[in-house]
Amino acid sequence: MALQDKYQQLVDAAKNAGVANLQVREQDNVLYIDGEAPTGEVKDNLWNIYNQIDPDFRAGDLIMNINVSAMAAGATATVTTDSSNLNIRKGPGTDQPIVGKAAHGATVTLISKTNDQWWLVRTQNGEEGYAYAQYLSV
Amino acid sequence: MIRSYFKILVVASTLSTGACFTSCKSKPKDAGNNVDTTSMSTPAPVTPAPVEITPDTTLQAGVRDATKDFPGVKADVNNGEITLTGEIKRSRLPNLMMALNSLKPKKINNQLTIK
Repeated sequence: MALQDKYQQLVDAAKNAGVANLQVREQDNVLYIDGEAPTGEVKDNLWNIYNQIDPDFRAGDLIMNINVSAMAAGATATVTTDSSNLNIRKGPGTDQPIVGKAAHGATVTLISKTNDQWWLVRTQNGEEGYAYAQYLSV
Repeated sequence: MIRSYFKILVVASTLSTGACFTSCKSKPKDAGNNVDTTSMSTPAPVTPAPVEITPDTTLQAGVRDATKDFPGVKADVNNGEITLTGEIKRSRLPNLMMALNSLKPKKINNQLTIK
């Protein structure tokens, strides 16, 4: 219960921001918070709160698996790499061959979500393949 | 008349046995991942489902993908725990942690040197 107290502000913020399917569970001295955030901003805000409670995420007592639920098929997403191109791959994994690239700031169309890490997308050039979801935002 | 009374008795005792069985089954217990909650027909789960921890082989592939663009970061996976060593810029730390947290590990030990 002590962990739930420590991260209460985070859980409250998730509830207030409308995080869907919110689950808060404690197991073996680690708190697990799962849910689906309505927007990328909500997710970023929760991560800011996490970073305030546990600076630089050092404590190792929380796993926060909050993903953005708004990514429906047909939605467009912007490539948010630091500056480089985003690789579009044949399959969901960095061991898969690169079949295309999307420039930083370019728009891609979401075809489907393979998992929380890899999304099948189509680039503006019509190339289809898997991109790492971390570098895509709505 | 006696027969129908007997029937009611049988039904009642069956129900009470069922209820006892259900309540015994749904008692909170601190078991591992073997508890099968999906086959229960009770409307609301009494205890939350145990946290699913990604197996090491899946986790290793996910960690490899997540750390690919962080050349200074080394990540080891053991028993569901990810241990991070090496160096990272503070501004990039949240992005790395977001990616690793979404892999559903058991725990993340952040031993990174932050520049």
